[in-house]
Amino acid sequence: MHELSVALEVCRMTEERLGPDGLRAVRAVGVEVGEDAGIEIGNLEFCLETLLAEPPFAGARPVILRQPGDMLRLAYLEVDDGRPDD
Amino acid sequence: MAVRTIDVRERVMARNDEFAALVRARLQAAAVPTFNLVSSPGAGKTLLLERTLADLGRELAIAVITGDVQTQNDADRLARHTDRLVQAVVTNGACHLDARQILTALDAVDLEATDLLFIENVGNLVCPANWDLGEDAKIVLFSVTEGEDKPSKYPKMFRAARWTVFTKMDLLPHVPFSVERAVELARAVNPSLGFLMTSSVAHHGLGEWFSFCRAHARRGVGV
Repeated sequence: MHELSVALEVCRMTEERLGPDGLRAVRAVGVEVGEDAGIEIGNLEFCLETLLAEPPFAGARPVILRQPGDMLRLAYLEVDDGRPDD
Repeated sequence: MAVRTIDVRERVMARNDEFAALVRARLQAAAVPTFNLVSSPGAGKTLLLERTLADLGRELAIAVITGDVQTQNDADRLARHTDRLVQAVVTNGACHLDARQILTALDAVDLEATDLLFIENVGNLVCPANWDLGEDAKIVLFSVTEGEDKPSKYPKMFRAARWTVFTKMDLLPHVPFSVERAVELARAVNPSLGFLMTSSVAHHGLGEWFSFCRAHARRGVGV
């Protein structure tokens, strides 16, 4: 139902955080979803996979983290900073 | 390549809630009580509003913002009963209204000349529970042609609502629906829910509904 709206908002928040030029470097997007949040997990995962596979993203992986309660939160972003490993 | 993790921990609804706060501030500045009507599709939101506009429209200045997925049929139906503004929001496939849409729709509403504002949400008992529109309260309509276990199936909506309006009460003799059981299940998820019983077709219980509207309207006409 509204999982696509939620996925689009997650992408907007990611762009707000990293800027349009930073989105290709995103490797994973962690989203915390409460069991009572009214979100169908498989549907949200599918929507995120679809959006994150297309430009301006470059195939970032959605990571859904189940939580108790009705939490719905962008938890973290994994970003390739382009520098060689230490 | 080095992958670093950026801690965000930001609510996905945060932006909607910012718009909802703007809506609430505008409505409170104008002292316009606002109710968000939610229900399954076909529970009778539009017909209840038609009756309300037809019978109370000369007494109270009632404005309506309607949300529909693909048409503005509901707004057209309501507009036949009032000279006042009925503002349609077509969601183009989205299953709920969001606060930004309401903020935009308010631009077309003369709040200074409005006693009571209804938002008729998209018919859906899941998604609209998640979206704060800046309203004073949600009112969930619950028709007796639905299963009486709706509150157990959709607890978030019944938890988010302040009142439940039973609709289509004239059909009660013809359907296997126990109002007592439905009230019991609704109170199990939200003990503070208030209840009204109506039939818009048979005009059953509408007096009580109109009294509710009068009691909450800005001018405090009362009963």
